[in-house]
Amino acid sequence: MALFLTQLMNGIGSGAVYASIALALVLVFRTTGILNFAQGEMALYSTYLVWFFTQRSVPVWIAILLAMIISFIGGAAIERILIRPVEQASPLVLVIVTIGMFLAINSIAQVQFGNDIKILPRAYPNKTWLPGGVQISSDTLVLVGVLLAECLILYLLLNRTRIGLAFRAVASNPESSRLVGVPVGRMLMLGWAMAAAIGALAGALVIAPVGLQGASMQEILVYSFAAAALGGFDSPLGAVVAGLIVGVAGTLTTQYLHAVHDIELVVPFGLILLVLLVRPSGLFGSRRVERV
Amino acid sequence: MTDVRRGAGARRLRAAALGVAFALVVVACGSGRNDSTSTATTAPGGSTTPGSTTVIDASQCDPSTLTQGVTGDTIKIGTSLPLSGTYSAFNAILKGESSYFSYINSLGGVTVAGKKYKIQLVSKDDAYDAAKTSSNVDTLINSDKVFGLFNTVGTKNNLGVRETVNSDCVPDLLIASGAVQWGNMKYPFMLGSELVPYPDEMQVFVDYLKQNKPNAKIALLYANDDFGQSYRETLKDLVTNTSLSIVKEASYNAEGSEVKAQVTSLAASKADTFVLGGTLLACPNALTAAHDAGWRPVIYMSGTCVSKLLFTLGGDGADGVLSVTPLMDPGDPANASNAAVTLYKAQVKKYAPDADTADGIVAYGWSTGALLQKILEASPKLDRVSVMEAARTLKDVSGTGLQLSGSKWNTNKDDWFIGETFQLVKYNKAAGHTEKVGALTNLDGKTASLSPKSLLNS
Repeated sequence: MALFLTQLMNGIGSGAVYASIALALVLVFRTTGILNFAQGEMALYSTYLVWFFTQRSVPVWIAILLAMIISFIGGAAIERILIRPVEQASPLVLVIVTIGMFLAINSIAQVQFGNDIKILPRAYPNKTWLPGGVQISSDTLVLVGVLLAECLILYLLLNRTRIGLAFRAVASNPESSRLVGVPVGRMLMLGWAMAAAIGALAGALVIAPVGLQGASMQEILVYSFAAAALGGFDSPLGAVVAGLIVGVAGTLTTQYLHAVHDIELVVPFGLILLVLLVRPSGLFGSRRVERV
Repeated sequence: MTDVRRGAGARRLRAAALGVAFALVVVACGSGRNDSTSTATTAPGGSTTPGSTTVIDASQCDPSTLTQGVTGDTIKIGTSLPLSGTYSAFNAILKGESSYFSYINSLGGVTVAGKKYKIQLVSKDDAYDAAKTSSNVDTLINSDKVFGLFNTVGTKNNLGVRETVNSDCVPDLLIASGAVQWGNMKYPFMLGSELVPYPDEMQVFVDYLKQNKPNAKIALLYANDDFGQSYRETLKDLVTNTSLSIVKEASYNAEGSEVKAQVTSLAASKADTFVLGGTLLACPNALTAAHDAGWRPVIYMSGTCVSKLLFTLGGDGADGVLSVTPLMDPGDPANASNAAVTLYKAQVKKYAPDADTADGIVAYGWSTGALLQKILEASPKLDRVSVMEAARTLKDVSGTGLQLSGSKWNTNKDDWFIGETFQLVKYNKAAGHTEKVGALTNLDGKTASLSPKSLLNS
């Protein structure tokens, strides 16, 4: 039982990261209708910024905060400069643009910062508790805590502020929003900006214990995409729940399904296939209805 | 100036090769298909190979390509390794070897048959993807026209090119992998580097356990690729008929380095010994996960992870971890006054200022560069067959780069492994470097017999 709970905690720990990045994917999708394949690499670049600042003796938390602010601005700039011109293009073009960004940002990061493994200082001490034999680490607690905080802030921002109202209006119907005077362009930038800042935070926290390098975010992005697909690309709640499901499914597969322990990806992806067969819009996604 | 002469030489070679080919057909028809190595003693004629060719059967080689990559006083060598992706930290190898070649070129180069040649290294990034390695190698051989390959990283990556290098007679020298497949006698153009062959690693650790923990219950974590399988299969082989047992195994996805769930599962097995058959970030991640789980087994970690950076990342979990190395630890202050170490540090600082000279992976690149020089200089002539022949008949090579004092590297027609003399080491976290455990281990000539035959000939 203790082993099961420990693996559950491991799964929640990695799931919280997938959920954070999935949340970023959902924010971008809801506002601009784009699957941002570069979300992971944007987080990677932000994490390199954190490393860059800490190398210059900036305290870690401040470095993370600085990186989040720069990412916020950078995310908005990417929307304005790279995405806006092709906004009306076919989905295929948008996919190609974000994949291009994926490759470009990854290469720029490696050229700029080098391809060695960087050691990122931890923002908090690494501790493990073993209540009743169940292993709970400070990593898991912090990641889950940060995820909850992100959810709370997003909830308050979207549901309790005027900006949030405008943001939701744009997500639901950009044309009508524009007619009633909502600055649609600015809201789209806000979506990308928030996504980039969330990615920066998640990246810095998840990479610190394991070492930073060019491929650090790639495996995570695959799982996060899986989570976003499972939860429904337009549902923040779905992203969070599905992120945790994908994380837990992965660790429990490793522990209990020896037949496929070599390919722990099988179970989460099997799960997604199943859900999408039954509910094509994902667990929490809203169904698209078109009048004909 | 040598164009005319080379043209004539090539014609002579072609004629000789035709003759040998004919002779081989006759011999093969007469005696069946065994012992082709001895029939090749006269391969492509006395003009291209030393009279005593005993290992390489060069009869199928196109004589006109045997000196490809040698122009004027330059030898062009190619390498493919991960410079991006999950395994990009292996770029430290390139820093070490490039520094060595820059250093040796600044002294005029390597001397082959009385003439000095500069070494030009062409490196290509394969992100540890065997398919990319394969296309890199094709480009290196056919477009860059390199003389041979050097220190190409990865087990599956080199397995993927072995048909090419053997049919094209391109030396795939000093492969950066300790897999035993480089001892497969069907592929004479491949040779592993001084990295300790994986079965030798397992043998020395099994011996250690027999002495210190005779009833050890072993948990094994391995990468789910050819590299990780090497550890798994040899360890299984070596513990049969001993009082040691493997109580639990888990593999991890070699494309990533996420091992926490696996280690949790292994820790729950209550094993008292942990063998870590992974590489790069999977090593420190596993050490940290084991430590966090409160699991304190005797830990053996792959020799490919002997690196200051990886030990540092392993934190408290890295303390007391056992591994092996064929080289001196450049991070150990006890070696600081050693002439080889001071030379290495000074030159790497000069040619690759951003490299960490205390890192074992940089030292490995440097030392392998030095070994290539020794092989080239041992060759009586500068052609692919002669160089490969020289690599296969190394005699008591010592003092190569950071080679351990007292260690001698040998190869011969029955022994195709170099790094069989090595040191068992233990990491001391407080001191920040490894410490020797016991005396030098010498398994010279024994690797093939330690290896599962299924693996050796696969």
